[in-house]
Amino acid sequence: MNDYPQILFKNRRPGETVFLDGFRQTGGYQGLEKAIRAMTPLEVRETVKRSGLRGRGGAGFSTGLKWSFFPADQPGDKYLVCNCDEMEPGTYKDRQLLMADPHQLIEGVILSAWALQVSEAYIFIRYAYEQEARNLERAIAEAKDAGYLGTDILDSGWSLRIHVHRSAGRYILGEETAQLNGIEGVRPNPRSKPPFPAVKGLWGRPTTVNNVETLADVPHIITGGAEWFKNLARNGDGAGTKLFGLSGHMERTECFELPVGIPLREVIFDVGGGIRGGREFKACLPGGASTPYLTREHLDVAMDFDTLEAVGSRFGTAGVTAFDNDTCMVAVTLNLIRFFARESCGWCTPCRDGLSFIQWLLEEIEAGRGNMEQIEMLKHQRRNITGRSFCALAEGAMGPLDGLLRLFEDELEDHVRKGRCPFQ
Amino acid sequence: MPTLTIDNQTVTVPDGTNVLEAAQQLGIVIPHFCYHEALGAVGSCRLCAMKFEQGPVKGIEMACMVQAQDGMVVSTVDAEAQELRAAVIEWLMLNHPHDCPVCDEGGECQLQDMTIAGGHGIRRYRGKKRTWINQDLGPFIEQEMNRCIQCYRCVRTYRDYCGGDDFGVMGSRNRVFFGRFKEGKLESPFSGNLADVCPTGVFTDKTCRFRSRSWDLQEAASICPHCSLGCSVIPGARYRELQRVRSGINRQTNGFFICDRGRFGYGHVNHPERPRTPKLQGADAAWPEALQLARRRLTDIAAKVGPEAIALLGSPRASLESLALLHDWAKQLGGARFCGDPQPGRDRAARQLTALLGSRARSLEDVRRSDCLLLVGSDPLNEAPLLGLAVRQAARRGARVIVIDPRPVELPCNFQRLSTGPEELPQRLEHLVSTTEPTDDLSTLRTLLHQAERPILCGGGDLLGEVGIRQLAAAADHFGTGLFVTLGGPNSYGAALLSGDGPDADQLCEEMLAGKIRALVCLENDPLADGPQRMARALGKLEFLLILDHAPNRLSRQADVFLPTTTVAEGSGTLVNNEGRMLSFSTVFNPGIPLGISSEGGHPPRSFSPTTAGGEPRPAWAVLAQLRGENQSPEMIRRKLEGRDSRFAGLSLLDPDGEGQRVRGGGHPAGSHDQSFPHPAPEGSLPLLVVEQLFGSEQLASLSPALDAVQPDPQVLLHPETAAARGLKEGDTIALHTELETFSLQLKLNAAMTPGLLLATRLRDTPLELFAPGSPTPCLVGKGGGDA
Repeated sequence: MNDYPQILFKNRRPGETVFLDGFRQTGGYQGLEKAIRAMTPLEVRETVKRSGLRGRGGAGFSTGLKWSFFPADQPGDKYLVCNCDEMEPGTYKDRQLLMADPHQLIEGVILSAWALQVSEAYIFIRYAYEQEARNLERAIAEAKDAGYLGTDILDSGWSLRIHVHRSAGRYILGEETAQLNGIEGVRPNPRSKPPFPAVKGLWGRPTTVNNVETLADVPHIITGGAEWFKNLARNGDGAGTKLFGLSGHMERTECFELPVGIPLREVIFDVGGGIRGGREFKACLPGGASTPYLTREHLDVAMDFDTLEAVGSRFGTAGVTAFDNDTCMVAVTLNLIRFFARESCGWCTPCRDGLSFIQWLLEEIEAGRGNMEQIEMLKHQRRNITGRSFCALAEGAMGPLDGLLRLFEDELEDHVRKGRCPFQ
Repeated sequence: MPTLTIDNQTVTVPDGTNVLEAAQQLGIVIPHFCYHEALGAVGSCRLCAMKFEQGPVKGIEMACMVQAQDGMVVSTVDAEAQELRAAVIEWLMLNHPHDCPVCDEGGECQLQDMTIAGGHGIRRYRGKKRTWINQDLGPFIEQEMNRCIQCYRCVRTYRDYCGGDDFGVMGSRNRVFFGRFKEGKLESPFSGNLADVCPTGVFTDKTCRFRSRSWDLQEAASICPHCSLGCSVIPGARYRELQRVRSGINRQTNGFFICDRGRFGYGHVNHPERPRTPKLQGADAAWPEALQLARRRLTDIAAKVGPEAIALLGSPRASLESLALLHDWAKQLGGARFCGDPQPGRDRAARQLTALLGSRARSLEDVRRSDCLLLVGSDPLNEAPLLGLAVRQAARRGARVIVIDPRPVELPCNFQRLSTGPEELPQRLEHLVSTTEPTDDLSTLRTLLHQAERPILCGGGDLLGEVGIRQLAAAADHFGTGLFVTLGGPNSYGAALLSGDGPDADQLCEEMLAGKIRALVCLENDPLADGPQRMARALGKLEFLLILDHAPNRLSRQADVFLPTTTVAEGSGTLVNNEGRMLSFSTVFNPGIPLGISSEGGHPPRSFSPTTAGGEPRPAWAVLAQLRGENQSPEMIRRKLEGRDSRFAGLSLLDPDGEGQRVRGGGHPAGSHDQSFPHPAPEGSLPLLVVEQLFGSEQLASLSPALDAVQPDPQVLLHPETAAARGLKEGDTIALHTELETFSLQLKLNAAMTPGLLLATRLRDTPLELFAPGSPTPCLVGKGGGDA
């Protein structure tokens, strides 16, 4: 296995959590000090924009561009929300970071809050991440004692409070506007956009929502510079490193920090140690449950946002789940659809009722009771849900279904013809 | 004013219009569920898909979520959009039980209509359907959750629009439940609107469950008779029985919603004790005989003693047409005494309002759009619930709401309470406009009213009285704004306009006691319940009493002549609401004993007759015309009235489906009158204030069996400090001694009310009915005593 540059995971040791002392020994809070003492908030935002950092929560939107929509100079209450509601199946990278080195996030939040000139930040954390939430609370207390947080931070005259908000625990709370509702204490249905959170977010005030990993990258960009960060990537258009969460039928199913743009082959066969038991690779989810499958023909594609989109999939959260040749892709898709149907908030019709309809169709086909018409019905569902739902949840659920229909239609037909699952 | 093209037709719409509304203006109706004019668009049902072909938005979008913009070219018939709409209907119908044959909504079900319109026909889903256990939501609303299509309209109506908090949405995914945490009565006074907004049969009117199909109901545009706001309603009748009332739409008054008193108070029309035949001293008689006798007696008295010996007493629940004929009859008789309202306090307040309102008039829609509302002596949720709902809409848009009232007023929104004693209301208003003496709590209010762009001063006629209304108008002028004052009944304003500076019922009473008035004609009022307190004695002095009414009247058996009239639902006419808006109503059905009663529940009816059983009640205007020996029609009466009195110009052109029209020009305040207590208040007494309550006070609604379940218990309220000073505690039975009556009530403490005051609800058929609403009476309080 190659020696990949470790930025976020540089302090990661098995079974250990690094707190303030360990974090500072490896350069912790230097990015924050540099920014506050030597840069203007605008310079920080510009640097992040130049670094090419794209959102690590799945959508891959340019962080610099997102921040440029934020009215940092507007007086009045504004908020930064860190999205740590990591509930995407196959995704567990943020948890690893918070178990290894929680100050990485705290420094990122403080620095970003300063860049955006907000004085109130929320870390919205998945309800199951209790230990991680405690790590964050300890890190916040340490940062406060050390003068990195609270009032008049590093003599700048600027103050910040960070709240750790534990989720009530549904996948929909990862959707940024639903998350804002969740923090406000109302039913977490997504909100319509526009107005976007940058204009009207938490409590109706300008708000930016960023992922844990995105925010944790920011201090490193400030310390190392935009060019350095960009060059960490293997591919020309990419930027930085990415935490890959490996799962499924691989030998090594762990979380790794790898350069953006690394070929899929290298992820699965070098880093992941290949398919378990020496079996053949059949397909994988490249970036969590809502990304369409990749197959053998995609093994040389660079793992980045644009390159994966070009082959009909998405980089997502870089949670790579691999499937060996004995896997029934109908069953895999059914399993994923069950998750999405269960986690629909129930607000819009395509998601609430469409996903459970798809679940029923796949159950029928997987159980050998399906017919060819139902395969057409699946296509009808995909056609009418994609781009038609209120938020991105159902859109994401169409990822695996789209992959199934595009790449494995023969498997569906096989189920119908044989009247049973051919893998059983 | 953007101009856009929809299906090759061009339309220009006001800014802020969404594309779904723009299409509706062209007559293109696209299926939709979550969008509702009053609730707005939320984009959850995903049904109103259209294809945006050119302009700033491209592709398939939900029309309700896109603001109309210049240059948009939109197709509603695009194949992709149509396929999506059919798909949405298929999804919505996955779990629907297809129980239309036993569903009350069948025939007026938006889901049925939209399913047909959406193009989805055959169910392809063969799996198990989601099912629910329903909740008992109380006497008004039936729940059948299996039919739910999750449009969220109910929760947006109940919680967001109406401010209720005991109903909501629970669960997620395809198991979303709309109901209460626990079974129980819906607490909001606007709960009935669930039946109107639900596009399918999840929430239906329990009071008419399994009674009729919508197409079997006789329906017509009408006006609610249960308070002075004149909300638009659509009553529905079948088999000579009024079976339900749903909300009509009048954007100037009620908007889209009504209160539960208006919706479920219809039972008086079907009341088994409703007098349906003419009576001569309690004995049934034929119309010609009764009319002839009444005419002869009145002519005799006019000839013998003079026309001033005849008093004609109208009512705020009588139509403008009937009152106009009654008023005209007074003149025709050569100067008989006319008064439009048996309740002197309310009458004087209404007349004062008609004299002052003019350009100060504001509508409920103005209230909804206001940015600062001061409520003085007004308890909307009890006196005129839709005012409370309008105040909430203003508050939702950011308006400040301030309440000055001795009562523990509650509103479905945040507000600031400045309490005061009842007799201080005019004084408080005087302080408000006096710049020299800024009492502190009023100075903030003063600043708010000065800074607001669209402030409105709201008041309750009962507590303000004529003096308070004068002060409120002065305050309105001071702050350069208008008034919204609620009155006693649906036509208080019209009655006051006609009464002018004529006598009030107190004066008529005095003249009756003095023997000057020998004959009394009561048009749709119960003078014993609503008249001055001396009325019972005064009636004894009469030679002749004629009552025209449709409600069971205490005097229908004692009157020399009793003539049954029709209710609002059984006739057409006009009512003038509290803002001087003439609102017309049309005939829903003809009177008759409901078949359910006359055939003792059997069907089809087994007795045959050329006449309708119980069909004798006639419209009051027709009875009055016959008494005058004339042939009249409502149209003739209206034309004559507007010809004679320019204030009513436009009366004959009113459309029952329209928004009504304000009267032009005002009325007169009543003549001067000594308002002080007859005797000085005894030492140690407290003022007893008897006030209206949502249920139990209004005469007609209190006759509705559907409201029996929500009838409040009689009780008296006291501030905890006042109670403590007198050694009284919560739950005590206390004896109340007033000049009029001695009775006992259960004591309840309330810290939000003004100290030093006794508060009781004016409940019908209790001793409290005798007290004029809103005017304090001295009352001595003792412990113990029998039941009220």
